[in-house]
Amino acid sequence: MSAPEDTGPEVTRDDPMIAAEWALGLLEGEELLAARGKAATDPHFAWRKEWWDDWFAPLTDGMAGAEPSDQVWDGIAARIAAQQAAADAAAASPEAPAVNVVALEARVRRWQWVAGISSMAAAVALALFLTSPLGSPVAPPVQVAAAEPMVATVPIGETGLRLDVTYIPESEKMLVAAIGLTADGVHDHELWLVPADGSALQSLGVVAPGEVRSMALPAAVTAKLSDGASLVLTREPIGGKPEGVDAGPVVAKGAFSRV
Amino acid sequence: MAARPRPASDEAREALRDAMARLATGDQAALEEIYRATRVKLFGICLRILGDRKEAEDALQDVYVNLWQRADRYDPTRASPIAWLAAFARNRAIDRLRTGKVRGGAVPVEEAAPLADETPLADMLMVDAEQAAQIHKCLGALDARTQGHIRAAFFDGQTYAQLAEAADVPLGTMKSWIRRGLQRLRACLEASEAA
Repeated sequence: MSAPEDTGPEVTRDDPMIAAEWALGLLEGEELLAARGKAATDPHFAWRKEWWDDWFAPLTDGMAGAEPSDQVWDGIAARIAAQQAAADAAAASPEAPAVNVVALEARVRRWQWVAGISSMAAAVALALFLTSPLGSPVAPPVQVAAAEPMVATVPIGETGLRLDVTYIPESEKMLVAAIGLTADGVHDHELWLVPADGSALQSLGVVAPGEVRSMALPAAVTAKLSDGASLVLTREPIGGKPEGVDAGPVVAKGAFSRV
Repeated sequence: MAARPRPASDEAREALRDAMARLATGDQAALEEIYRATRVKLFGICLRILGDRKEAEDALQDVYVNLWQRADRYDPTRASPIAWLAAFARNRAIDRLRTGKVRGGAVPVEEAAPLADETPLADMLMVDAEQAAQIHKCLGALDARTQGHIRAAFFDGQTYAQLAEAADVPLGTMKSWIRRGLQRLRACLEASEAA
Protein backbone atom coordinates (compact mmCIF):
# COMPACT_ATOMS: atom_id res chain seq x y z
CA MET A 1 0.00 0.00 0.00
CA SER A 2 1.38 3.38 -0.91
CA ALA A 3 0.28 6.97 -1.05
CA PRO A 4 -2.66 7.72 -3.31
CA GLU A 5 -1.71 8.51 -6.88
CA ASP A 6 -3.42 11.88 -6.96
CA THR A 7 -0.45 13.70 -5.54
CA GLY A 8 2.81 14.59 -7.18
CA PRO A 9 3.68 16.04 -10.56
CA GLU A 10 1.80 15.27 -13.75
CA VAL A 11 3.16 12.21 -15.51
CA THR A 12 4.89 12.74 -18.84
CA ARG A 13 3.02 10.86 -21.51
CA ASP A 14 6.05 9.41 -23.28
CA ASP A 15 6.08 6.46 -25.68
CA PRO A 16 6.37 3.75 -23.00
CA MET A 17 3.34 5.31 -21.31
CA ILE A 18 1.33 5.28 -24.54
CA ALA A 19 2.40 1.67 -25.09
CA ALA A 20 1.13 0.85 -21.59
CA GLU A 21 -2.20 2.54 -22.25
CA TRP A 22 -2.46 0.65 -25.52
CA ALA A 23 -1.64 -2.71 -23.89
CA LEU A 24 -4.23 -2.04 -21.23
CA GLY A 25 -6.79 -1.32 -23.98
CA LEU A 26 -7.31 2.34 -23.11
CA LEU A 27 -6.55 3.87 -26.49
CA GLU A 28 -9.40 4.69 -28.81
CA GLY A 29 -10.03 6.24 -32.22
CA GLU A 30 -7.30 8.44 -33.55
CA GLU A 31 -4.88 7.62 -30.74
CA LEU A 32 -5.29 3.91 -31.37
CA LEU A 33 -4.61 4.40 -35.08
CA ALA A 34 -1.57 6.52 -34.33
CA ALA A 35 -0.18 3.91 -31.94
CA ARG A 36 -0.61 1.17 -34.53
CA GLY A 37 1.05 3.26 -37.20
CA LYS A 38 3.93 3.96 -34.85
CA ALA A 39 4.37 0.31 -33.90
CA ALA A 40 4.64 -0.56 -37.60
CA THR A 41 7.58 1.77 -38.10
CA ASP A 42 9.19 2.06 -34.67
CA PRO A 43 10.60 -1.25 -33.38
CA HIS A 44 11.31 0.18 -29.96
CA PHE A 45 7.72 1.25 -29.50
CA ALA A 46 6.50 -2.14 -30.77
CA TRP A 47 8.88 -3.82 -28.34
CA ARG A 48 7.54 -1.77 -25.44
CA LYS A 49 3.95 -2.69 -26.32
CA GLU A 50 4.91 -6.38 -26.25
CA TRP A 51 6.77 -5.82 -23.01
CA TRP A 52 3.57 -4.60 -21.40
CA ASP A 53 1.53 -7.37 -23.06
CA ASP A 54 3.90 -9.98 -21.58
CA TRP A 55 3.68 -8.49 -18.12
CA PHE A 56 -0.08 -8.14 -18.19
CA ALA A 57 -0.64 -11.64 -19.61
CA PRO A 58 -0.61 -13.48 -16.25
CA LEU A 59 -3.62 -11.42 -15.19
CA THR A 60 -5.68 -13.39 -17.71
CA ASP A 61 -5.35 -16.36 -15.35
CA GLY A 62 -7.92 -14.52 -13.26
CA MET A 63 -10.49 -14.73 -16.02
CA ALA A 64 -12.80 -17.76 -15.86
CA GLY A 65 -12.42 -20.17 -18.75
CA ALA A 66 -15.42 -20.99 -20.91
CA GLU A 67 -16.22 -23.59 -23.55
CA PRO A 68 -17.06 -22.17 -26.97
CA SER A 69 -19.67 -23.92 -29.11
CA ASP A 70 -18.62 -26.49 -31.70
CA GLN A 71 -19.47 -24.07 -34.48
CA VAL A 72 -16.37 -22.06 -33.67
CA TRP A 73 -13.96 -24.78 -34.72
CA ASP A 74 -16.19 -25.63 -37.71
CA GLY A 75 -15.96 -22.02 -38.80
CA ILE A 76 -12.20 -21.91 -38.38
CA ALA A 77 -11.75 -25.16 -40.31
CA ALA A 78 -14.08 -23.99 -43.09
CA ARG A 79 -12.29 -20.71 -43.53
CA ILE A 80 -8.93 -22.41 -43.73
CA ALA A 81 -10.17 -25.21 -46.01
CA ALA A 82 -11.75 -22.73 -48.42
CA GLN A 83 -8.51 -20.86 -48.66
CA GLN A 84 -6.47 -24.00 -49.21
CA ALA A 85 -8.85 -25.37 -51.84
CA ALA A 86 -8.71 -22.13 -53.74
CA ALA A 87 -4.93 -22.01 -53.48
CA ASP A 88 -4.67 -25.60 -54.71
CA ALA A 89 -7.00 -24.90 -57.62
CA ALA A 90 -5.00 -21.85 -58.56
CA ALA A 91 -1.77 -23.82 -58.41
CA ALA A 92 -3.20 -26.61 -60.56
CA SER A 93 -4.47 -24.40 -63.36
CA PRO A 94 -3.26 -20.87 -63.05
CA GLU A 95 -4.40 -19.91 -66.54
CA ALA A 96 -7.85 -21.50 -66.43
CA PRO A 97 -10.56 -18.88 -66.81
CA ALA A 98 -13.22 -18.62 -64.17
CA VAL A 99 -16.12 -20.18 -65.96
CA ASN A 100 -18.86 -20.21 -63.44
CA VAL A 101 -20.13 -18.62 -60.32
CA VAL A 102 -18.86 -21.43 -58.14
CA ALA A 103 -15.32 -20.78 -59.30
CA LEU A 104 -15.93 -17.11 -58.83
CA GLU A 105 -17.08 -17.64 -55.30
CA ALA A 106 -14.01 -19.69 -54.57
CA ARG A 107 -11.95 -16.88 -56.01
CA VAL A 108 -13.70 -14.33 -53.89
CA ARG A 109 -13.21 -16.50 -50.86
CA ARG A 110 -9.55 -16.78 -51.58
CA TRP A 111 -9.36 -13.12 -52.21
CA GLN A 112 -11.17 -12.51 -48.98
CA TRP A 113 -8.53 -14.65 -47.35
CA VAL A 114 -5.63 -12.98 -49.05
CA ALA A 115 -6.82 -9.52 -48.27
CA GLY A 116 -8.44 -10.40 -44.98
CA ILE A 117 -11.40 -8.30 -45.99
CA SER A 118 -14.65 -8.62 -44.13
CA SER A 119 -17.37 -10.87 -45.41
CA MET A 120 -19.43 -7.76 -45.93
CA ALA A 121 -16.84 -6.32 -48.26
CA ALA A 122 -16.67 -9.66 -50.07
CA ALA A 123 -20.42 -9.68 -50.47
CA VAL A 124 -20.39 -6.19 -51.89
CA ALA A 125 -17.56 -7.12 -54.21
CA LEU A 126 -19.35 -10.24 -55.34
CA ALA A 127 -22.45 -8.19 -56.06
CA LEU A 128 -20.33 -5.81 -58.09
CA PHE A 129 -18.86 -8.66 -60.07
CA LEU A 130 -22.26 -10.04 -60.84
CA THR A 131 -23.88 -6.80 -61.85
CA SER A 132 -21.07 -5.13 -63.67
CA PRO A 133 -20.59 -3.97 -66.30
CA LEU A 134 -23.90 -4.86 -67.93
CA GLY A 135 -26.09 -4.56 -64.90
CA SER A 136 -27.49 -8.03 -65.44
CA PRO A 137 -27.67 -10.20 -62.34
CA VAL A 138 -25.17 -12.67 -63.73
CA ALA A 139 -22.43 -11.22 -65.87
CA PRO A 140 -20.94 -13.34 -68.63
CA PRO A 141 -18.24 -15.47 -66.99
CA VAL A 142 -15.70 -14.53 -69.64
CA GLN A 143 -15.80 -10.96 -68.47
CA VAL A 144 -15.38 -12.08 -64.93
CA ALA A 145 -12.25 -13.92 -65.97
CA ALA A 146 -10.97 -10.84 -67.73
CA ALA A 147 -11.53 -8.69 -64.71
CA GLU A 148 -8.64 -9.76 -62.52
CA PRO A 149 -9.26 -7.91 -59.32
CA MET A 150 -6.35 -6.24 -57.65
CA VAL A 151 -6.25 -6.03 -53.93
CA ALA A 152 -4.22 -4.11 -51.46
CA THR A 153 -4.27 -4.57 -47.74
CA VAL A 154 -3.16 -1.61 -45.73
CA PRO A 155 -2.57 -2.96 -42.23
CA ILE A 156 -2.55 -0.37 -39.54
CA GLY A 157 0.07 -1.53 -37.14
CA GLU A 158 0.36 -5.12 -36.02
CA THR A 159 -3.13 -6.09 -35.03
CA GLY A 160 -6.64 -5.95 -36.33
CA LEU A 161 -7.34 -2.73 -38.10
CA ARG A 162 -6.77 -2.63 -41.79
CA LEU A 163 -7.97 -0.95 -44.89
CA ASP A 164 -8.88 -3.26 -47.73
CA VAL A 165 -8.75 -1.80 -51.19
CA THR A 166 -9.98 -3.69 -54.20
CA TYR A 167 -9.82 -2.53 -57.75
CA ILE A 168 -11.93 -4.23 -60.38
CA PRO A 169 -10.50 -3.25 -63.78
CA GLU A 170 -13.59 -3.95 -65.89
CA SER A 171 -15.75 -1.72 -63.79
CA GLU A 172 -13.12 0.95 -63.16
CA LYS A 173 -14.41 0.91 -59.67
CA MET A 174 -12.51 0.68 -56.49
CA LEU A 175 -13.83 -0.63 -53.22
CA VAL A 176 -12.40 0.77 -50.04
CA ALA A 177 -13.36 -1.15 -46.93
CA ALA A 178 -12.49 0.73 -43.78
CA ILE A 179 -14.37 -1.57 -41.45
CA GLY A 180 -12.20 -1.22 -38.39
CA LEU A 181 -11.61 2.50 -38.57
CA THR A 182 -13.45 4.98 -36.45
CA ALA A 183 -13.79 8.71 -36.88
CA ASP A 184 -12.37 10.94 -34.16
CA GLY A 185 -14.12 14.07 -35.36
CA VAL A 186 -10.83 15.94 -35.73
CA HIS A 187 -9.01 14.14 -38.51
CA ASP A 188 -9.75 12.40 -41.75
CA HIS A 189 -7.54 9.80 -43.40
CA GLU A 190 -6.67 10.25 -47.03
CA LEU A 191 -5.62 7.44 -49.31
CA TRP A 192 -2.91 7.98 -51.91
CA LEU A 193 -1.79 5.91 -54.86
CA VAL A 194 1.99 5.70 -55.21
CA PRO A 195 2.50 4.68 -58.84
CA ALA A 196 5.07 1.97 -59.53
CA ASP A 197 6.71 4.21 -62.17
CA GLY A 198 7.74 6.76 -59.58
CA SER A 199 5.41 9.49 -60.81
CA ALA A 200 3.56 11.82 -58.47
CA LEU A 201 1.19 10.56 -55.79
CA GLN A 202 -2.46 10.63 -56.71
CA SER A 203 -5.15 11.18 -54.15
CA LEU A 204 -7.79 8.50 -53.97
CA GLY A 205 -9.82 10.57 -51.57
CA VAL A 206 -10.74 10.56 -47.95
CA VAL A 207 -11.56 7.23 -46.35
CA ALA A 208 -15.03 6.79 -44.85
CA PRO A 209 -14.40 5.18 -41.44
CA GLY A 210 -16.36 2.02 -40.72
CA GLU A 211 -17.76 1.76 -44.22
CA VAL A 212 -17.30 -0.10 -47.46
CA ARG A 213 -17.34 2.50 -50.23
CA SER A 214 -17.28 2.01 -53.94
CA MET A 215 -15.73 4.80 -55.97
CA ALA A 216 -15.31 5.38 -59.69
CA LEU A 217 -11.73 6.10 -60.68
CA PRO A 218 -10.72 8.63 -63.34
CA ALA A 219 -8.68 7.25 -66.24
CA ALA A 220 -5.64 9.23 -65.09
CA VAL A 221 -5.61 7.16 -61.93
CA THR A 222 -6.44 3.75 -63.39
CA ALA A 223 -3.59 4.18 -65.85
CA LYS A 224 -1.20 4.21 -62.91
CA LEU A 225 -2.72 1.20 -61.22
CA SER A 226 -0.56 -1.81 -61.72
CA ASP A 227 1.04 -4.64 -59.84
CA GLY A 228 3.41 -3.20 -57.33
CA ALA A 229 1.70 0.16 -57.13
CA SER A 230 1.44 1.00 -53.50
CA LEU A 231 -0.87 2.92 -51.24
CA VAL A 232 -0.24 5.18 -48.32
CA LEU A 233 -2.70 6.48 -45.80
CA THR A 234 -2.09 9.91 -44.32
CA ARG A 235 -3.66 11.74 -41.45
CA GLU A 236 -5.21 15.02 -42.51
CA PRO A 237 -7.56 17.67 -41.24
CA ILE A 238 -11.25 16.98 -41.75
CA GLY A 239 -12.03 17.00 -45.45
CA GLY A 240 -8.59 15.85 -46.53
CA LYS A 241 -5.33 17.55 -47.41
CA PRO A 242 -5.85 21.28 -47.89
CA GLU A 243 -4.73 22.80 -51.19
CA GLY A 244 -1.12 24.01 -51.20
CA VAL A 245 -0.12 22.23 -47.99
CA ASP A 246 2.07 19.16 -47.58
CA ALA A 247 0.28 15.92 -46.88
CA GLY A 248 0.06 14.83 -43.25
CA PRO A 249 2.00 11.98 -41.63
CA VAL A 250 1.81 8.53 -43.19
CA VAL A 251 0.02 6.23 -40.76
CA ALA A 252 -0.10 3.08 -42.88
CA LYS A 253 0.95 1.65 -46.23
CA GLY A 254 0.28 -1.32 -48.50
CA ALA A 255 0.82 -2.56 -52.06
CA PHE A 256 -1.46 -3.85 -54.82
CA SER A 257 -1.27 -7.36 -56.13
CA ARG A 258 -3.49 -9.42 -58.40
CA VAL A 259 -5.68 -12.04 -56.80
CA MET B 1 21.29 -33.94 -8.97
CA ALA B 2 18.31 -36.22 -8.52
CA ALA B 3 16.03 -36.54 -11.48
CA ARG B 4 12.97 -34.53 -10.76
CA PRO B 5 9.78 -35.20 -12.71
CA ARG B 6 8.89 -32.18 -14.75
CA PRO B 7 5.64 -30.58 -13.68
CA ALA B 8 2.72 -31.21 -15.99
CA SER B 9 2.55 -27.49 -16.72
CA ASP B 10 6.03 -27.59 -18.23
CA GLU B 11 5.01 -30.45 -20.47
CA ALA B 12 1.88 -28.68 -21.57
CA ARG B 13 3.89 -25.57 -22.32
CA GLU B 14 6.48 -27.51 -24.30
CA ALA B 15 3.76 -29.30 -26.26
CA LEU B 16 2.19 -25.95 -27.07
CA ARG B 17 5.52 -24.40 -28.01
CA ASP B 18 6.15 -27.33 -30.29
CA ALA B 19 2.71 -27.02 -31.90
CA MET B 20 3.30 -23.30 -32.47
CA ALA B 21 6.58 -24.11 -34.21
CA ARG B 22 4.87 -26.67 -36.45
CA LEU B 23 2.10 -24.22 -37.18
CA ALA B 24 4.63 -21.79 -38.60
CA THR B 25 5.49 -24.45 -41.19
CA GLY B 26 1.84 -24.68 -42.28
CA ASP B 27 0.90 -27.80 -40.32
CA GLN B 28 -2.87 -27.69 -40.02
CA ALA B 29 -3.01 -30.47 -37.42
CA ALA B 30 -0.94 -28.22 -35.19
CA LEU B 31 -3.70 -25.62 -35.27
CA GLU B 32 -6.24 -28.15 -34.07
CA GLU B 33 -3.90 -29.16 -31.26
CA ILE B 34 -3.44 -25.55 -30.21
CA TYR B 35 -7.18 -24.99 -30.41
CA ARG B 36 -7.92 -27.97 -28.21
CA ALA B 37 -5.39 -26.92 -25.63
CA THR B 38 -6.18 -23.22 -25.47
CA ARG B 39 -9.77 -22.60 -26.56
CA VAL B 40 -11.22 -22.60 -23.04
CA LYS B 41 -8.77 -20.03 -21.78
CA LEU B 42 -8.91 -17.84 -24.88
CA PHE B 43 -12.69 -18.01 -25.11
CA GLY B 44 -12.88 -17.06 -21.43
CA ILE B 45 -10.81 -13.96 -22.22
CA CYS B 46 -12.93 -12.98 -25.25
CA LEU B 47 -16.13 -13.54 -23.29
CA ARG B 48 -14.95 -11.49 -20.34
CA ILE B 49 -13.95 -8.56 -22.52
CA LEU B 50 -16.88 -8.64 -24.93
CA GLY B 51 -19.63 -9.78 -22.59
CA ASP B 52 -21.53 -11.41 -25.43
CA ARG B 53 -21.27 -15.06 -26.46
CA LYS B 54 -21.83 -14.50 -30.15
CA GLU B 55 -19.29 -11.68 -30.37
CA ALA B 56 -16.84 -13.65 -28.28
CA GLU B 57 -17.17 -16.66 -30.58
CA ASP B 58 -16.60 -14.48 -33.64
CA ALA B 59 -13.56 -12.98 -31.97
CA LEU B 60 -12.27 -16.42 -31.06
CA GLN B 61 -12.63 -17.58 -34.65
CA ASP B 62 -10.64 -14.56 -35.81
CA VAL B 63 -7.96 -15.31 -33.25
CA TYR B 64 -7.26 -18.79 -34.60
CA VAL B 65 -7.66 -17.95 -38.28
CA ASN B 66 -5.30 -15.04 -37.78
CA LEU B 67 -2.91 -17.23 -35.89
CA TRP B 68 -2.86 -19.67 -38.77
CA GLN B 69 -2.23 -16.93 -41.29
CA ARG B 70 0.54 -15.34 -39.30
CA ALA B 71 2.04 -18.05 -37.12
CA ASP B 72 5.47 -16.56 -37.73
CA ARG B 73 4.57 -13.60 -35.54
CA TYR B 74 5.17 -15.64 -32.42
CA ASP B 75 8.74 -15.50 -31.22
CA PRO B 76 9.41 -18.48 -28.92
CA THR B 77 12.45 -16.78 -27.41
CA ARG B 78 10.36 -13.90 -26.12
CA ALA B 79 7.26 -15.08 -24.35
CA SER B 80 5.69 -18.32 -23.22
CA PRO B 81 3.22 -19.45 -25.88
CA ILE B 82 0.21 -19.25 -23.61
CA ALA B 83 1.12 -15.75 -22.40
CA TRP B 84 1.50 -14.66 -25.99
CA LEU B 85 -1.76 -16.30 -27.08
CA ALA B 86 -3.61 -14.80 -24.12
CA ALA B 87 -2.37 -11.32 -25.01
CA PHE B 88 -3.16 -11.95 -28.68
CA ALA B 89 -6.73 -13.02 -27.88
CA ARG B 90 -7.29 -10.14 -25.49
CA ASN B 91 -5.98 -7.65 -28.04
CA ARG B 92 -8.34 -9.01 -30.69
CA ALA B 93 -11.27 -8.82 -28.30
CA ILE B 94 -10.38 -5.25 -27.33
CA ASP B 95 -10.10 -4.33 -31.03
CA ARG B 96 -13.57 -5.68 -31.57
CA LEU B 97 -14.85 -3.79 -28.55
CA ARG B 98 -13.30 -0.51 -29.69
CA THR B 99 -14.32 -0.72 -33.31
CA GLY B 100 -17.67 -2.50 -33.21
CA LYS B 101 -21.05 -1.90 -31.75
CA VAL B 102 -20.46 -4.32 -28.92
CA ARG B 103 -21.18 -2.98 -25.53
CA GLY B 104 -18.81 -5.09 -23.52
CA GLY B 105 -18.75 -4.99 -19.76
CA ALA B 106 -19.91 -7.53 -17.28
CA VAL B 107 -20.65 -11.04 -18.44
CA PRO B 108 -24.03 -12.43 -17.40
CA VAL B 109 -23.57 -14.96 -14.65
CA GLU B 110 -24.79 -18.01 -16.54
CA GLU B 111 -22.34 -17.30 -19.34
CA ALA B 112 -19.43 -16.67 -17.05
CA ALA B 113 -19.97 -19.80 -14.99
CA PRO B 114 -16.65 -21.58 -14.64
CA LEU B 115 -16.38 -24.92 -16.34
CA ALA B 116 -16.87 -28.19 -14.61
CA ASP B 117 -13.71 -30.06 -13.78
CA GLU B 118 -13.02 -31.32 -17.26
CA THR B 119 -10.47 -28.64 -18.00
CA PRO B 120 -7.19 -29.93 -16.62
CA LEU B 121 -5.37 -27.97 -19.29
CA ALA B 122 -6.59 -24.70 -17.90
CA ASP B 123 -4.41 -25.30 -14.86
CA MET B 124 -1.45 -26.46 -16.85
CA LEU B 125 -1.69 -23.46 -19.05
CA MET B 126 -1.34 -20.90 -16.38
CA VAL B 127 1.07 -18.24 -17.37
CA ASP B 128 4.51 -18.45 -15.81
CA ALA B 129 4.11 -18.45 -12.03
CA GLU B 130 7.07 -16.23 -11.23
CA GLN B 131 6.00 -13.62 -13.70
CA ALA B 132 2.46 -13.80 -12.37
CA ALA B 133 3.66 -13.27 -8.81
CA GLN B 134 5.65 -10.21 -9.86
CA ILE B 135 2.85 -8.40 -11.67
CA HIS B 136 0.51 -9.08 -8.77
CA LYS B 137 3.09 -7.78 -6.35
CA CYS B 138 3.70 -4.61 -8.35
CA LEU B 139 -0.03 -4.01 -8.84
CA GLY B 140 -0.56 -4.63 -5.14
CA ALA B 141 1.96 -1.90 -4.32
CA LEU B 142 -0.32 0.71 -5.92
CA ASP B 143 -3.00 2.36 -3.86
CA ALA B 144 -6.24 0.40 -3.87
CA ARG B 145 -8.17 2.90 -5.97
CA THR B 146 -5.63 3.10 -8.79
CA GLN B 147 -5.20 -0.64 -8.73
CA GLY B 148 -8.94 -1.07 -9.08
CA HIS B 149 -9.11 1.21 -12.10
CA ILE B 150 -6.21 -0.53 -13.84
CA ARG B 151 -7.82 -3.89 -13.18
CA ALA B 152 -11.17 -2.67 -14.51
CA ALA B 153 -9.43 -1.54 -17.69
CA PHE B 154 -7.69 -4.87 -18.07
CA PHE B 155 -10.49 -7.23 -17.12
CA ASP B 156 -13.53 -5.44 -18.47
CA GLY B 157 -12.00 -3.45 -21.31
CA GLN B 158 -13.20 -0.18 -19.81
CA THR B 159 -12.14 3.08 -21.44
CA TYR B 160 -10.88 6.17 -19.60
CA ALA B 161 -14.29 7.74 -20.14
CA GLN B 162 -16.14 4.76 -18.67
CA LEU B 163 -13.80 4.60 -15.69
CA ALA B 164 -14.16 8.33 -15.07
CA GLU B 165 -17.92 8.09 -15.24
CA ALA B 166 -18.06 5.11 -12.90
CA ALA B 167 -15.81 6.87 -10.38
CA ASP B 168 -17.63 10.19 -10.93
CA VAL B 169 -14.45 12.17 -11.52
CA PRO B 170 -13.39 14.33 -14.47
CA LEU B 171 -11.79 12.49 -17.39
CA GLY B 172 -8.48 14.31 -16.86
CA THR B 173 -8.35 13.19 -13.25
CA MET B 174 -8.86 9.55 -14.20
CA LYS B 175 -6.15 9.79 -16.84
CA SER B 176 -3.72 11.28 -14.30
CA TRP B 177 -4.47 8.58 -11.76
CA ILE B 178 -3.99 5.75 -14.19
CA ARG B 179 -0.89 7.23 -15.79
CA ARG B 180 0.76 7.73 -12.42
CA GLY B 181 -0.17 4.16 -11.58
CA LEU B 182 1.27 2.85 -14.84
CA GLN B 183 4.46 4.81 -14.27
CA ARG B 184 4.92 3.23 -10.84
CA LEU B 185 4.00 -0.16 -12.23
CA ARG B 186 6.66 0.15 -14.90
CA ALA B 187 9.30 1.19 -12.37
CA CYS B 188 8.41 -1.76 -10.16
CA LEU B 189 8.47 -4.27 -13.04
CA GLU B 190 11.74 -2.92 -14.39
CA ALA B 191 13.29 -3.12 -10.95
CA SER B 192 12.30 -6.80 -10.79
CA GLU B 193 13.88 -7.41 -14.21
CA ALA B 194 17.12 -5.77 -13.11
CA ALA B 195 17.25 -7.77 -9.89
